[in-house]
Amino acid sequence: MFKKADTSALWAVILSLVLFFVGGILTTIVPPMVDHTWAKPFENNDPAKGPTGKLVPLSELELKGRAIYQREGCWYCHTQQIRTLLADTKRYGWKGVDAPISTPDEFVYDNPHMFGTKRTGPDLARVGGKYDTQWHRTHFRNPRDLVKGSIMPTYPWIVNDPKEFEALVAYMQTLGRAKDWRPNHDYEK
Amino acid sequence: MQDQISRAEAIGAAPGAIIHEDTAAKWFLVSSVAYFFIVGIIALLIAAKFVWPDLMGTISWLSYGRLRPLHVNGMLFGWLLAADMGLAFYVIPRLCGVKLWSEKLGMATAALWNIIVLGAVVCLLAGFNQGWEYGELPFFLDVLVVVAWILFGLNVFMTVAQRKYQAMYVTIWYTMGCILWTAFVYLTGNFATLFTTGTNQANLNWMYVHNAVGLIFTPIGLALAYYFIPRAANTPLHSHKLSMVGFWSLAFVYVWTGAHHMIHGPISQWLQTIAIAFSVMLLIPVWAVVYNLFATMKGQWHQLRESVPLKFLMSGVVFYLLTCFQGPMHSLRTVSAIVSKTDWIPGHAHMAVLGAFSFFAIAGTYFVVPKLWNKALHSQSLANWSYWMLMIGGIGFYVTLWLGGFWQGWQWNTWTIPFIDTVVALKPIWIVRFVSGVMMFTGIVMFAYNVMATALGTHEESAA
Ligand code: HEC
Repeated sequence: MFKKADTSALWAVILSLVLFFVGGILTTIVPPMVDHTWAKPFENNDPAKGPTGKLVPLSELELKGRAIYQREGCWYCHTQQIRTLLADTKRYGWKGVDAPISTPDEFVYDNPHMFGTKRTGPDLARVGGKYDTQWHRTHFRNPRDLVKGSIMPTYPWIVNDPKEFEALVAYMQTLGRAKDWRPNHDYEK
Repeated sequence: MQDQISRAEAIGAAPGAIIHEDTAAKWFLVSSVAYFFIVGIIALLIAAKFVWPDLMGTISWLSYGRLRPLHVNGMLFGWLLAADMGLAFYVIPRLCGVKLWSEKLGMATAALWNIIVLGAVVCLLAGFNQGWEYGELPFFLDVLVVVAWILFGLNVFMTVAQRKYQAMYVTIWYTMGCILWTAFVYLTGNFATLFTTGTNQANLNWMYVHNAVGLIFTPIGLALAYYFIPRAANTPLHSHKLSMVGFWSLAFVYVWTGAHHMIHGPISQWLQTIAIAFSVMLLIPVWAVVYNLFATMKGQWHQLRESVPLKFLMSGVVFYLLTCFQGPMHSLRTVSAIVSKTDWIPGHAHMAVLGAFSFFAIAGTYFVVPKLWNKALHSQSLANWSYWMLMIGGIGFYVTLWLGGFWQGWQWNTWTIPFIDTVVALKPIWIVRFVSGVMMFTGIVMFAYNVMATALGTHEESAA
């Protein structure tokens, strides 16, 4: 069967595509048909089953902020996923409360997805409500004013544009909030 | 099969035989070498920003988040893929014993490719970024990429269809495979993603990212290695059978592994497990290829002393082996828990794309440029220096990032260490990375200068 591809270009083409499509189809088209949590927005009213809450689509302002996050490539340095690792849930937790693990149903409206691949900076999946607006203003103007040794870039052109700044912070504050995970709704504004 | 290579070359030399125009190959090679140099500057800038974060910090279009995608896309598409296409335009007609199907179409493809790259520079600096890794280019450029790829593929396939020799050498299968798989992988990562969101989209994105390396750069890179190693060493390929094992197992195994980019992440566990299992199976095609290429060199290793292309080629094979050994290891859950998301990963990625595939393309360029312009290489010793600069700089880069990344991962897993301390701890690593980068860039400058000086220079004597 493979020998024939030595002399027949058409046969080589057919065989390369057939072999490729087996895995290609089984790993791209089939998984979302099998695992429905990929498409069903998060909703939970039963505290016994973990954090309660409901995923809602972003508002226009928040979407604008997300577009800035996309434009500036924040996602090259920040991931948005609490992995199934104890270290992730502890490190990104708050006052002794572990951060809930990220699940596909929390990201159903994300387009483009912002899971990221590299943590030059910390994960931002649960950063919503961690800091107030004033903190973000100072931080975006110059991260090193707040965190000595930071290598995050400065973003004066965002801070100096009130509309952009407001939008970006609004987006930041939504991150990880579908799951109401902090006790007593203790979030900064 | 080696006969076939020599036969094809011999015909080129015989009186009254085909004369290859090679204009399309020249256009692709010259522009790709120029981008290698230009994007090298961007690479240095972003490495510098890790050490001096305030460097040019007030200029939005020079900030890290704008330059990084330019670096990645510029190197992958402006340099590497363009050089690969140029070399394919040189190699394929010779292996088929005919002229390139359409030299004009090839030149048009090169022109279109340059328009795409220049468009990408403007869009990425301006922040028009689609938000997917490797898929940053805006929609209209994606469409142009597809058009250019179809033109390139058409030219190659028509050349193959008209070939004089019925039997096709390995290089031809790999090139054809690359063209076909790239088409579907690219469509998945840049078009199918448009209709999806969240985890579903991420899954398609990773299928594309992983296979951009596995089914675009790997097959075209190996196509070149399979051609240039026996050619440069003037020795037959070790085993035709083994090259078949390598090719067909690659065709089947690679595409399953995309989800290994999300090990422990918000994606179904069973899909992660499938990706891990197939990642480990990748060792089969890799071993088949590496063994074959090494065995080809048996008794010929002394030639490395004299030949710069062989130095690049065989170092590339070693880096290919190392990268492809790392890959399956990273995908294991325990190892992933340490190295994933750390600086280890850029160390790994650079060894694949620079250490292996760019080395193959550099070797090919050094090999063909004197033949294309019918002149001796401008300077052998400069070529030798470019090798050592890229080699030592490269090793410095990979090894420091592995060490640093592993250490970083270990620190993150000790969650009582504040995050910022893990940033400060890596400073020395980033300084060494920058210095290694300067060395690599020096190597690139030497390479680019040598190529340009050969093309434009006045050494009339023809290459041996
Ligand atoms: C070059 C990499 C880099 C880029 C690009 C980057 N950051 Fe950061 N970021 C960091 C680092 C390092 C830290 C940790 C030190 C600090 O807090 O400044 C950080 C911290 C943060 C924090 C605080 C997180 C916490 O839990 O304390 C937020 C919020 C943040 N970044 C948002 C952003 C946004 C929004 C952008 C894009 C406009 C961005 N970052 C771009 C590297 C980066």
